Amino acid sequence: MTVKWIGKRMVMGMIVLLIVSFLSFFIMHAAPGDPAAAFYGGNAQTLNAAEKERISRVFSLDRPVIAQYGTWLAETVKGNFGVSYKEGRPVSTILFERLPNTLLLFGVTMFFIIVGSIWLGTAAGMKAGSVWDKGLSTVSIVTSSIPAFWLGILFISFFAVNLGILPSSGSGDIGDEGGFWDKLRYLIMPATVIILTHVGIYARFLQESIKVESRNYYVTVARANGIAERVIRKGILRNASIPYLNYIGMTIPSFFGGSIIVESLFSWAGLGQLTVKSVITKDFPLLMGGILLTGLIVVVSLFVIDLIMYVVNPRLRKGDVR
Amino acid sequence: MRPQKALTFWCAVLGIIVILTACASFLSSYGPNDMNLDEVYVSPGEDHLLGTDHLGRDVFSRLLEGGKVTLTVASVSVLLSLVIGILYGGISGYVGGAVDTVMMRFLEALITIPSLIIILAFQAFMQGGMWSMALIIGITGWLVTARIVRSEFIRLKDAEFVKMATMFGTPIWKILFGHMLRNSVPAIFIVTLFNFAGAIFIEVSLSFLGIGVPPAIPSWGNMLYYAQNDILIGAWWIGLFPGVMIFVTILAINFIGEALKNPERRRLDA
Repeated sequence: MTVKWIGKRMVMGMIVLLIVSFLSFFIMHAAPGDPAAAFYGGNAQTLNAAEKERISRVFSLDRPVIAQYGTWLAETVKGNFGVSYKEGRPVSTILFERLPNTLLLFGVTMFFIIVGSIWLGTAAGMKAGSVWDKGLSTVSIVTSSIPAFWLGILFISFFAVNLGILPSSGSGDIGDEGGFWDKLRYLIMPATVIILTHVGIYARFLQESIKVESRNYYVTVARANGIAERVIRKGILRNASIPYLNYIGMTIPSFFGGSIIVESLFSWAGLGQLTVKSVITKDFPLLMGGILLTGLIVVVSLFVIDLIMYVVNPRLRKGDVR
Repeated sequence: MRPQKALTFWCAVLGIIVILTACASFLSSYGPNDMNLDEVYVSPGEDHLLGTDHLGRDVFSRLLEGGKVTLTVASVSVLLSLVIGILYGGISGYVGGAVDTVMMRFLEALITIPSLIIILAFQAFMQGGMWSMALIIGITGWLVTARIVRSEFIRLKDAEFVKMATMFGTPIWKILFGHMLRNSVPAIFIVTLFNFAGAIFIEVSLSFLGIGVPPAIPSWGNMLYYAQNDILIGAWWIGLFPGVMIFVTILAINFIGEALKNPERRRLDA
């Protein structure tokens, strides 16, 4: 059962990646203008027809699109993402320079969001009707309505410009004078912005599913039978965590979208900032690589969440659901 | 505040914002693109209500004009995603069977791709005006709508009154529009409302990154894009006001959506 289930999830992930690759390839292909001209940039006018034809042949641009896609996909799977137009270095090298930063930001923010929302959500959900309960409902709507990058601008204006205690942008570098602590100073602002704008809405979701769960019949029965409150709470929390995990999985894609913007604002040298930069400079190989790698990260993190759900939820293991 | 009062209040807030931005040209004494290099970075005061930016343009008139652009882009894109979502979800829910399974699998795959990534890819070569922005946001934002429409249609397909109508030989288009679509309106309305907030977020984010609405057209996101540099020299008013407007607009929409969401109804986002 387990093997079959994991297999099914993996096939789904592959399909998603295939769609992403289709999108990135065909979108780039649909880009207006002659790729040969794009490659030569400002000097394109000096090319004559024969030279253009030669370039098309060298880059296999005269072959059918589907054949080009096949060749491209085969190379991509082997880890060859091509060479960046602007930097002249292999895309895979550039991507792997950026990957640790993105994973660091993603890991740190996700950790604090999950810990914070479980703490807040449980505190609010277990005491229905309390100040906590009502307060969290309102606060979560307010915090989730703040555009993260705007909060970032305010933070920069306050902490970097007025107080001058935190760097306004950049991501430092491990191995520089400051080492780890240096990196941490750069991480504080982008991470705080993401955490503040996200923790409320996750906490609220957990709070609501705890409230729904507490109204269930088994809770009343357990209470009537004199089962310790601590045990009941544990049961409620465990059952409420399933929709919560599902919610995290559902929102991870948009969470990534948000971090792209925050990365760009703080010039955090991660994948998101790289992707935006490649859009602006029209560096297509780099853009395609960035999109594919982001897709891969999303698929992998969804897979991890699915695995956790599989462990937490016995119904899934028995094959009841889905 | 009591739910009913809160609803009225936030509707009023949203209404005021819409009216203010719609009447932008009457309310401001300066043109949104009028430059005056003698008056750059003027702080908020008598002459310029909310100050001026790095080219001496009046922030207040740009704020109103920008709101018009942002809200127009969001509205058009939401309408587009509404149409696509109803068609996709309706077909999937009404036809059912293998068609439904395939369509839903496809949707599930699409929903896991961050829509911002798709939009970025499109923007790489479109770089058009505000209409192409609206188009792109629209064609990437219909997924949740389709899901809701599908589940509503599946629920209503088995409802007694629909079965009765079928029995009486009511024409199929009448069942589809008069019965099923009309009864899904409350659910569709709420998801569209949240979609609207999402569309504002995306427009603002893209323009903020400098790859959204062209710089010549003022929008809330564009204003924040320039504010990034201005804030470093202490011109806080350029960045503060567009952000406040975005915040209040999205806040109003979210509160309205919350108030309309009937707690007795099944969770809409599930």
